[in-house]
Amino acid sequence: MITIGEIKNKFDAEVCDCQTTEQAQDIKVRYLGKSGELTALLKGIKDLSPEERPSFGAKVNELRNYIESALQSKLAEMKELEMQRRLQQEKVDVSLTDVRPWGALHPVTLVENEICRLMTAMGFEVLSGPEIETDYYNFQALNIPYDHPARDMQDTFYITDGILLRTHTSPMQARLMEKKKPPIKMLCPGKVFRSDSDASHSPVFHQIEALVVDENVTLCDLKGTLEYLASKLFGKSTKVRFRPSFFPFTEPSVEVDLSCSNCGGNGCSLCKGTGWIEVLGAGMVNPFVLENCGIDSSKYNGYAFGMGLERIAMIKYGIPDIRLFYENDARFIKQFGK
Amino acid sequence: MKLPLSWIRDYVDITEDIETLCKKMVDIGLEIEEVVYLGEHVTNVKVCQIKEISQHPNAERLLCCKVDIGTEILPIVTNDHNVKVGDKVPVALHNADLANGLHITKGKMRGEESYGMFCGAEELGINSDMYPNADKDGVLILNADAQVGQDIRQEVGIDDYVLDVNVTANRQDCNSVLGLAREVAVALGKDCKQPDISYSETGNATNDLVTVNVEASDICKGYFMQGLTDVKIGQSPLWLTSRLAKVGLRGINNLVDITNYVLFEIGQPMHAFDCDDIADKTIVVRRACNGEKIVPLDGKEYVLNSDDLVIADKLRAVGLAGIMGGANSEIKESTACVLFESASFARMNVRRTSRRLGLRSDSSARFEKGIETYTNNLGLSRALHLAEQLGCGKVTRGRISVGEVAGDRTITLPTERIKSLLGIVIPDDRIVAILKSLNIGATIADGTLSCTVPPYRDDITRDCDIVEELIRVYGYDNIKGTLLEGSHVTCGGKTTESDNCDKIREMLCGLRYNECILYPFGGKELFAKASSAPIDESQYIRLLNPIGEEVSLMNRELAPAMLQCAALNMSRNNGDIRMFEIGKAYLADSLPLTALPREQLRLSMCATGTDFDAFRQDVLQVTRYFIRDKLKLIRSASPILHPGISAEILSGEENLGYFGRIHPKVASNFDIGTDCMYAELYLDKLMRDRSEIKFRPFAKYPSISRDFAFLCDEDVAAQDILNEFDALSLAENCCLFDVYRGEQLGENKKSLAVSVVFRDKNRTLQDSDVEKQISKALKNIQAKYGATLR
Repeated sequence: MITIGEIKNKFDAEVCDCQTTEQAQDIKVRYLGKSGELTALLKGIKDLSPEERPSFGAKVNELRNYIESALQSKLAEMKELEMQRRLQQEKVDVSLTDVRPWGALHPVTLVENEICRLMTAMGFEVLSGPEIETDYYNFQALNIPYDHPARDMQDTFYITDGILLRTHTSPMQARLMEKKKPPIKMLCPGKVFRSDSDASHSPVFHQIEALVVDENVTLCDLKGTLEYLASKLFGKSTKVRFRPSFFPFTEPSVEVDLSCSNCGGNGCSLCKGTGWIEVLGAGMVNPFVLENCGIDSSKYNGYAFGMGLERIAMIKYGIPDIRLFYENDARFIKQFGK
Repeated sequence: MKLPLSWIRDYVDITEDIETLCKKMVDIGLEIEEVVYLGEHVTNVKVCQIKEISQHPNAERLLCCKVDIGTEILPIVTNDHNVKVGDKVPVALHNADLANGLHITKGKMRGEESYGMFCGAEELGINSDMYPNADKDGVLILNADAQVGQDIRQEVGIDDYVLDVNVTANRQDCNSVLGLAREVAVALGKDCKQPDISYSETGNATNDLVTVNVEASDICKGYFMQGLTDVKIGQSPLWLTSRLAKVGLRGINNLVDITNYVLFEIGQPMHAFDCDDIADKTIVVRRACNGEKIVPLDGKEYVLNSDDLVIADKLRAVGLAGIMGGANSEIKESTACVLFESASFARMNVRRTSRRLGLRSDSSARFEKGIETYTNNLGLSRALHLAEQLGCGKVTRGRISVGEVAGDRTITLPTERIKSLLGIVIPDDRIVAILKSLNIGATIADGTLSCTVPPYRDDITRDCDIVEELIRVYGYDNIKGTLLEGSHVTCGGKTTESDNCDKIREMLCGLRYNECILYPFGGKELFAKASSAPIDESQYIRLLNPIGEEVSLMNRELAPAMLQCAALNMSRNNGDIRMFEIGKAYLADSLPLTALPREQLRLSMCATGTDFDAFRQDVLQVTRYFIRDKLKLIRSASPILHPGISAEILSGEENLGYFGRIHPKVASNFDIGTDCMYAELYLDKLMRDRSEIKFRPFAKYPSISRDFAFLCDEDVAAQDILNEFDALSLAENCCLFDVYRGEQLGENKKSLAVSVVFRDKNRTLQDSDVEKQISKALKNIQAKYGATLR
């Protein structure tokens, strides 16, 4: 009869040779199964004397525990090995980097959002006004009466005698000031219309209007605001220059130049060698406009500026032709996406 | 405004180079559009004197000359046989450039050496208004006093700059040499001379020649007249015509040239009447009669109405006020007595008439910007001075003056106002000095600045105007940036509408749509292309003055522009299209407009390479941000879309928009594939319903799921079947997970596979609970839609 010791030795040898989880399962069945070695061994217990039986039983149990624990660790070892083997085989090509891009926002939206983001943080509220506007708000309320030569500054699309496509976002100045009393900090982005079209003009373009009316607002504040905006939009070293100009609704009025972000002010083709790029018109709100809207011009001052968003985008992104903005070629727009 | 540098030097002693001058002009607000050096294209051309002429040995038509260019004697071959020994002529030397684009090099002509070429007037870019005999062909024979060896540009007067100054609309006074000279003097810190307006009155009394009656004094603030007797019509001297040439005018005769000269120099448009053509010696300034006709100097006939102002005699109009004189009273060879008119016509009136008639002139351009009565008299006096100087005739005695002559204006303001506007302090002595340089009298006492503004500065009317004058001269570089330190704190932010638009943009970017910005207007042709049904043009808001028919109507739908954009991208092979736009539809309650129309915010989406179901998911993704409750989709009747593959989105009774495949006719109109999907949503209606997020506890009891397959007619709407399950009190969720069509189902039949989840929030469901509800739904489904379980 085979002894406990022999079984153990045989088991140890088989476990040692075992290579797969299937083999380990086989071993388990052969030793611990219903017709396995241990069952056979236990069957021999009836041949023993009652005195020998307890110690034999204990030894068999000891062997069973030994086998179970050895097989458990063998199985774990096998599983680990097999996983390692599988991991060696399971492979993908990780080299491809292309990705279906997000949709892109139009560059005018990008610039508009950036300016709004910067200025809402300074306390500006963003409003929008009608694109089809009355002559009153577009001109008269802004100190541009009928037949004033300043009307020639903007070629206007008319719908009727008194209704037109707004030529600038400035009508919102008057619309807001009629309703709201200072302090006012407003931004108004939107489409504006001028009846000319060539390489540098589109009959539709976008402006953003800024208006501040409050006590103690000065031309220095206008410059400071623009310096902040310019530094955020075009880089820290961007300088702001005022040149005298004329707009009927501001006095004093200035044209605002920024130092050329392309050449850093040394002169290049973008700035036509001057080192400066004209970006917007601005000024201190003409007291006529304040008074016309029922605001006490002896107590309140204001500043206003209006800039072309396409112009800003053209400088910021190096876009050469304003017509690209309205052509909407996907190859153009996708460049501004993520 | 064209400004010859030589002309302005009459008034200001300019020693600065042209770059410095321009920069300083820009600094005080004179924008310079262009600087033209008249001699730019004429280089290395000198005055020479011909010393010898001999026949060319090898060519009959050529002459060999020896010329003195001051430093040496050079051989020049010419084909001009008019030249004589001793003549001074222009010679283009080696590597010379000429105004007509010629480049000259030395070389041999038929074996004889020639160091250059003699030039004619055309090659120098001049005409007879600028140099004597410059209208003749061939080599230009120079004046005898020309200096041998001198640069030809100096001799013929093209060593000069013409600045094109962009004068702002408020500075009518700067549309003249004198006005700009005043500014240049300020810019350079120099004095500006006064124009010479001296003359002696030796002719008849003006009153004996004419009577002036201004009837329309509301639109003619001032009318001044004085003239010449014993008139001698002739040519003007070259110094005068050459100046006119530099601003683009040809010389006509001495009197007309004088009026043009005064217009440019003083900024006063003038007119010269032939006194003998004025019937009854009476000038009347009146409104025209309706239908009255006039033939101005351009020779065309214009029909006037009572808004127009005319200068008339007893019988007829002799001039269109401020715009053009009448042909019936113009200056002729035979004119013996001349009346100069110098007046202030209302700018709005001139502007209107000029626009209505389509008749513009240098005069009307200036009157439209406004002319002060002060300038009327200055201009008239200057014209009389020039007439006397040029020997045109005897100045008549006395001036007819109708209307007030504008005087100085007084403006006072606290000096504190300067600081409150500018944010900086300008020292008092600088304030006074700056204003003085602008001819504005200024005194400061007890913190009050008192200013006396000359009449020609009609743009300066109140305190802020004075402040602007100060800072533009003091220098904007003195303004130092501050960030609203003295003002109130305000709450910034976007409107809800604007925030929502940002949200939509983000969502659609996430769904890989690209944003477009399209024209908000289009034309009938485009709009018709985007519809399978005829369009009603009268519904659209029309521009009175579009730049073209194709951009004359305001959009009522975003589709036409979007489909046009899709077509462009397809024609350029840009791959599958995924585009959107947030734009507006301009909807009039009635036309023509009497009030502002509704501007409805809309979203358009366009995609190719997708199908209806996938596109519906994209569209509903957007609506879901605003409306979480059930929407209803029904067949759309939009003429843009395929009638069978398109839907209208309803929320209750409200129509939120439509989407689907574009109509095959529309697809073919735009030449875009028929698989193009399009959606248009009415954002104003959509945004109205943004529901607030509110937490709801979720059920802790287990659910029961059941799947069903229905056999039904092709026309049955799956949503109707889902709705029957949705209506069950225990149904938590249901969805369509498969649609199957096949021969064994029969023609026009389909199988809909539906999955339903049941749950009770208070207890664990039993199958029996669910079965009861299911049988109710199945009964309804069969009864209403004829759909049976497979």
